Amino acid sequence: MTVKSFFLSSAFWMVMGTLAGLTGAVELIAPDLLGNVPWLVFGRLRQAHTNMVMFGFVGSALLGAAHFLVPRLLRTQLHSERIGLFCVVLWDLAIGVGVAALAMGYTQNREYAEFIWPVDVAILIVLLGIFYNLLMTVRKRGENLLYVSVWYVMGALIFTFLSYFFGNAVWAPQTGSIWGMPDAILAWFYGHNILGFFFTPLAVAVAYYVIPIVTGRPLYSHTLSLVGFWSLLLLYSHIGTHHLLQAPAPTWLKVVAITGSIGMLVPVMTVLINLWLTMKGRISVIHTDIGGKFVFAGTVWYLFTCLQGPLQSLPYIQKVTHFTNWVVAHAHMGVLGFAGMTALGGIYFMLPRITGRPIYSETLADIQYWLVLTGMTGFFGILTAAGLVQGHAWLNGEVVYRVLPQLHPYMVARAASGIFIVAGALVGLYNIVMSLREARSNVGSGDLTGQEGP
Amino acid sequence: MTPGFIVGGSLAIFLCVFFVAVLLPGITAKDTPSEIFRPRTPLEEEGRKIYIQNGCSYCHSQYVRNLDWDLGAQRVAQAGDYVSDRPHQLGSERTGPDLSQAGGEHPDDWHMAHFINPRFTRPESLMPPWEFLGRERLLALTAYVQSLGFKDADARMARQRYWKQEAIKAYEAGPDANVEWLHSHVPEPWRKLPNPYPTTEAGLLRGKRIYQSFCIGCHGPIGDGMGPAQPYLYPPPLNFTILKGRGISGGILYYQIMNGITGTAMPYFKRELESEKIWDVGNYVAVYFIGETDAGGEPRGIEASYIRPREGK
Ligand code: HEC
Ligand code: HEC
Ligand code: HEM
Repeated sequence: MTVKSFFLSSAFWMVMGTLAGLTGAVELIAPDLLGNVPWLVFGRLRQAHTNMVMFGFVGSALLGAAHFLVPRLLRTQLHSERIGLFCVVLWDLAIGVGVAALAMGYTQNREYAEFIWPVDVAILIVLLGIFYNLLMTVRKRGENLLYVSVWYVMGALIFTFLSYFFGNAVWAPQTGSIWGMPDAILAWFYGHNILGFFFTPLAVAVAYYVIPIVTGRPLYSHTLSLVGFWSLLLLYSHIGTHHLLQAPAPTWLKVVAITGSIGMLVPVMTVLINLWLTMKGRISVIHTDIGGKFVFAGTVWYLFTCLQGPLQSLPYIQKVTHFTNWVVAHAHMGVLGFAGMTALGGIYFMLPRITGRPIYSETLADIQYWLVLTGMTGFFGILTAAGLVQGHAWLNGEVVYRVLPQLHPYMVARAASGIFIVAGALVGLYNIVMSLREARSNVGSGDLTGQEGP
Repeated sequence: MTPGFIVGGSLAIFLCVFFVAVLLPGITAKDTPSEIFRPRTPLEEEGRKIYIQNGCSYCHSQYVRNLDWDLGAQRVAQAGDYVSDRPHQLGSERTGPDLSQAGGEHPDDWHMAHFINPRFTRPESLMPPWEFLGRERLLALTAYVQSLGFKDADARMARQRYWKQEAIKAYEAGPDANVEWLHSHVPEPWRKLPNPYPTTEAGLLRGKRIYQSFCIGCHGPIGDGMGPAQPYLYPPPLNFTILKGRGISGGILYYQIMNGITGTAMPYFKRELESEKIWDVGNYVAVYFIGETDAGGEPRGIEASYIRPREGK
């Protein structure tokens, strides 16, 4: 139940979140179209969009997947379905209330830490509840060895909880912040940890789970898993200040951030080499499973994101790219291309193994795959190009206002790509709802529910 | 690895990194204010809340870098500028210009027209209209924007207020006095200077395009000063037709467009428009709205090489 509810929430938030994004994209073409509707004004809508897609869509799916794969890998049952369900309900409630509050102008206005204090507390309770539930599951395990996915889930929960607690300055309910430059440093420590310790390890856990099963091969190397896990914890946590390289932050901290960003190639490449050598020669096999297909695409986007990341943390490059749509392209590639596609892969891989039946429609899932992939590829190309146009024009001394008309065609193309992604979200919601409904009328017919482990 | 090892290891790493990457910079950060810093007034604080509530920071950054040319580029940001900011509003995207030195760039009435609908003062803006906030909150928001840059902003605001009074006095004294006042600030050599480039069809077309991208919201489609921003601006945008027969020259137009008229809503365009564009839009205004032009008149020096001999005589 817990897993299914998380997946359903994810599908729902994907629709809401991408619709908000599309609306925002349209506002950047025609700013007066929705003029003077307070709750739809761009500044508020952007916050609603990022929080819905990040916590609602990607977060729900990955947390659901964690609740599935931890008990499976440890040959046991989830410690408590009741705690699990409580967590799902509170999680959805928190996001719903949080987003409504953002639309009404109640925000703490630090990127990805916008939710107001009561919502922060609810989210912390959920994270704690999930950690407790999964830790208890680990304690009563029937399998002594902890597979790498379990490490990532545990590390993710610990880091996310602590980052969320400090990052939102939960002890300061009024502003959710500390002061001045240290606040910016704290906020980006947090902001980067949401990407690096909420999405990345949970998505990597899903990939580590799905790929060996689908390819029917054991994991290529457990040593590489070890290196990848600990180097991720060590390096990713240092690099938040690469968002502030041109701001008056301490220089030594910038050096740490840049060094760490380049060092990120280690955890990323060890994971990818490990996964890809596991599936070597079996890429066609992976594509016979719709879940595996999504996850594979996710790993490819992971490579692109994390080759681009170190590059754009170099001051020489950031001179052009910072403050532009280039960063928006990178952000979508990380969150939608890598984490989002991997999360969708998790959903489609795990759903049949929960319900005991194939998903409602493989074809629809395949259509969704192509819609999201096309939209995402479009986003990347268009926004990267738009970012270069902005960055170079500014460097040449053109003012922001003068470059706006040049952005227009890119913004139109971006909104058009967005339609693909929204369409993908709608197809996904329908498919997932139907899969769950069919399952309800066919309880207990499962041959797919049997135990299997990498 | 055992569960205890993973949990313990994660905790240890988190705490170490948190110390290095967050606490250490926090402890060693100097909270000494920079030379421009001053505390904000209650009204400015209220405006800042409105800024936060409406997510202005998702389109506007608040730090000037050493490679910037746009708004505020005279001064690179320092950590001491932010000591009273909770939460920080540094921003991560520049859909609009940096605002950390926006205070005093324009008089208050420009901001009111701009907030009601940004297209009124900047026809190609992407900024949302904020009319829904209502007059009270827009005044607070304006107070906040005018405080950005602290003491530097205060100095610029003092200048705006002084010249606002002078401009209103001149405007209320009637068209003759107003035009005389406007032109009395243009240096003598510029006043006598004709537009050195002859009127051409291509130049007029370019001028029209520039007029529509930059000027039309105030001076209006027919140059009578009745653009949509007009109800919010005082003195209102100039009706160009009153310039006819009042000693206007290409040099005056160029100078006023380049430099703006501090105290009035008329902004400077020296950052937005290069030299040829200023001559072009000036001549467009002269030909179509004022109805007299000195373009191509003497003295104009040796003709620029691109002028076709037929045109330049
Ligand atoms: C969709 C992005 C967007 C949002 C949200 C936004 N702006 Fe803007 N803003 C712009 C753009 C683009 C410009 C440049 C064109 C113009 O002047 O309108 C601009 C210009 C400005 C200027 C004029 C700067 C100058 O002197 O030329 C001010 C002041 C300003 N914005 C304040 C605000 C405030 C206050 C808010 C929040 C209530 C806000 N903006 C929200 C995009 C945005
Ligand atoms: C935000 C409104 C606004 C915009 C935009 C604007 N103006 Fe003005 N303009 C004014 C106001 C107000 C005055 C002065 C009125 C007064 O003091 O009587 C003025 C005065 C002038 C003058 C002074 C004439 C003289 O003889 O001294 C010129 C020339 C002028 N504008 C040209 C332009 C051009 C060209 C553009 C576009 C590139 C432009 N303006 C954009 C509001 C605006
Ligand atoms: C090797 C790994 C990575 C590195 C070194 C890296 C580096 C960076 C840098 C330097 C920026 C700031 C760019 C700027 O403001 O100029 C950035 C922004 C961003 N990154 Fe990454 N990145 C990496 C991986 C990821 C991943 C995996 C995700 C998503 C899961 C991600 C999501 C984002 C987002 C959302 C932003 C935008 C933040 C904002 O300004 O709002 N990144 N990244």
